[in-house]
Amino acid sequence: MNSKYVRISLALVAGTFLLTACGGGEPEPTAFPGLIVDGNAAYLASNLLVYKFDAQNGTENWQFPASQDNANPRGPFSGAPLKVGNLIIVGGSTNSTGGADPHLYALNSDTGQEVWRFGPGGPAKEFMAGAVTDGQRIYAPNGDGSLYAIDATQAVSGQPKLLWQFNTGNRLWSLPRVAGNAVYQGSFDHKLYAIDAATGKELWQFDGATAPIAVQPALSDGVLYFGAFDSYFYAVNASDGKLRWKTPVDGWVWCNATVDNGVVYFGDVHGKVYALDAATGQRKWTYVAHDTIRAQPIINQGTLFFVSEDTNAYALNLKTIKPDAAGVVDYNATQWRNDTLGRRLVSRPVITDGTILIPLFDGNIKVWALDASNGSRKYQFPPPPPPTATP
Amino acid sequence: MGNIFDFLLVDPMTNILLLIYDLLFHNYVLAIVALTIIIRLITLPLTLRQQVSSMKMAAMQPQIKAIQEKYKNDPQKLSEEMRKVGFNPLGGCLPLLIQFPILIGLYNAILRSMAVTPFSLLELGKHIYGFLPNLSSLLPVNSSIFGIWDLGQPDHYFVLPILVVATTYFSTKLTTPPASDEQSKQTNQMMSMMMPIMFGFFMLSAPVGLGIYWVVSNLIGIGQYYLMKPRLDIARAQHAVATVAGGTPGTLAPIAPPVSKPKAKVPPPRSKVKSGATGRMTRPGAAKPGSGKQ
Repeated sequence: MNSKYVRISLALVAGTFLLTACGGGEPEPTAFPGLIVDGNAAYLASNLLVYKFDAQNGTENWQFPASQDNANPRGPFSGAPLKVGNLIIVGGSTNSTGGADPHLYALNSDTGQEVWRFGPGGPAKEFMAGAVTDGQRIYAPNGDGSLYAIDATQAVSGQPKLLWQFNTGNRLWSLPRVAGNAVYQGSFDHKLYAIDAATGKELWQFDGATAPIAVQPALSDGVLYFGAFDSYFYAVNASDGKLRWKTPVDGWVWCNATVDNGVVYFGDVHGKVYALDAATGQRKWTYVAHDTIRAQPIINQGTLFFVSEDTNAYALNLKTIKPDAAGVVDYNATQWRNDTLGRRLVSRPVITDGTILIPLFDGNIKVWALDASNGSRKYQFPPPPPPTATP
Repeated sequence: MGNIFDFLLVDPMTNILLLIYDLLFHNYVLAIVALTIIIRLITLPLTLRQQVSSMKMAAMQPQIKAIQEKYKNDPQKLSEEMRKVGFNPLGGCLPLLIQFPILIGLYNAILRSMAVTPFSLLELGKHIYGFLPNLSSLLPVNSSIFGIWDLGQPDHYFVLPILVVATTYFSTKLTTPPASDEQSKQTNQMMSMMMPIMFGFFMLSAPVGLGIYWVVSNLIGIGQYYLMKPRLDIARAQHAVATVAGGTPGTLAPIAPPVSKPKAKVPPPRSKVKSGATGRMTRPGAAKPGSGKQ
């Protein structure tokens, strides 16, 4: 091959790398955004920034960090922010090469300024899922396999103090469920742990799954419900960790379950939404979207809302739903379906005052607000730039 | 298009990589090395064909230039004459173009199976074969090497970037055909410097697992070069012989094992042919056991 073709080949290789790795603007996100609403304020962790905006109209209040500082890099961020007192707590996430920001950040909820950051040091990695609280302690799972418990009172006063650390055998990429005096944490080591909330000691462990558990277990009537990457869904006693039932599904489950009226709702990576009998695990019906259901479904006034990586938002009326003989609900039997959002949807929506706020995985628009009754668009965040006046 | 590429190449390679990982004691480094070797062996015939063709095209350059100069005002005649002498740039390019997607597929399979970010793990979940349910239980892959490196993280000790630079340099140097004029020589020199630097720079932020693939792939490429060198020398000599004899250079000779004496019709090569390496060449895989120094 003469040098001309060598040059062409090399130029192709170089061009490929340039196109894939050196694009301008905001880098592609690698972790899932998270959203909460507190009163009229919405807090969003999305890629490189944390935002506060008005949940009624999408007007931005602040963003963190206010400016990029190469000497003090922060983020990216993922997982739903947590509001504790006057603080917004968000976790540092991973970048495209797996490098992590191993900090938990506390921001002033009014100003967006950093109040403190907690870095456990050592092998600590990303706080992928953020944190939860029971009012006494803040529980923050980390990619190093440890669950960290921080004193909530001291955290609010500006001094995060580590109370205990519970080690598992692999990554913790999901939030724990806190109930009573127990914390239930799923791990990539294939186990679900129950931990004493006060002491950090293990109460029991469930080792019946054969693949990572990456969801926050749902708790209803003393039973924990969760799926795993082994394509099974489990129901386990919260008191002793004994298996009640398990049922096979079609793909990995990376979707928190919602339990309502004795029915468990969740999705899998192949786009199937399941409704299982909470008592027996029997399948009541399934609905098939076109791509992964990763975000937890939510129920509001008898309607099941869920979003998919196929870029659609769906609403199913649970009162009128009619599966066929095979237990499958017709794709068009939705109350409404919005297919105009144009981006992958992988994070849990939030409903407030008849509006459903849906975080978008990537792109310039971070959140779409839809009318929960009919799925029509209400506003976007950030708002579109004002039209430029023509001379 | 992306889905077809995934379906045909990346998905099978990803699942095979995880199967190998399971077989090789849950050692992901060994799995990467094994799959890289397998893929390079599968593409060996293409590699050989491409390198032989490259050598021939490089050797033909003076002749090509002369023809181009002679018929520069007559494109049709130029095209005819080029065809007559056997000039076929695609002969070297096509095998390379076929190999390229395979290697890109392997690269993507390694990246996907390491699943260092939530999004890449979610993608992996969609592409693991459902009929191989045990593969999910292998996740996440054991990404630690001696407790020093993490396969999913960049190498903070710069060992891999240095190895990538060194092996890419030697691999490029060896496999680039010799230039026939000063300008090509300079271009080759520049490329043999720029390529390693570019890949080394990329490795500063790329996961260690990819670096291992790159180093192994380069080492195999270097090994293949030395294994094929006698055949490449024969190809070069055959070209020289054919040119002297007034034959058609640039075309492949019939398949035959090397013989100890030159055939009567073909005069013995005048240069660069060592004793025992004669005016016949073999195609990949044609060499028989005991066929001398092949």
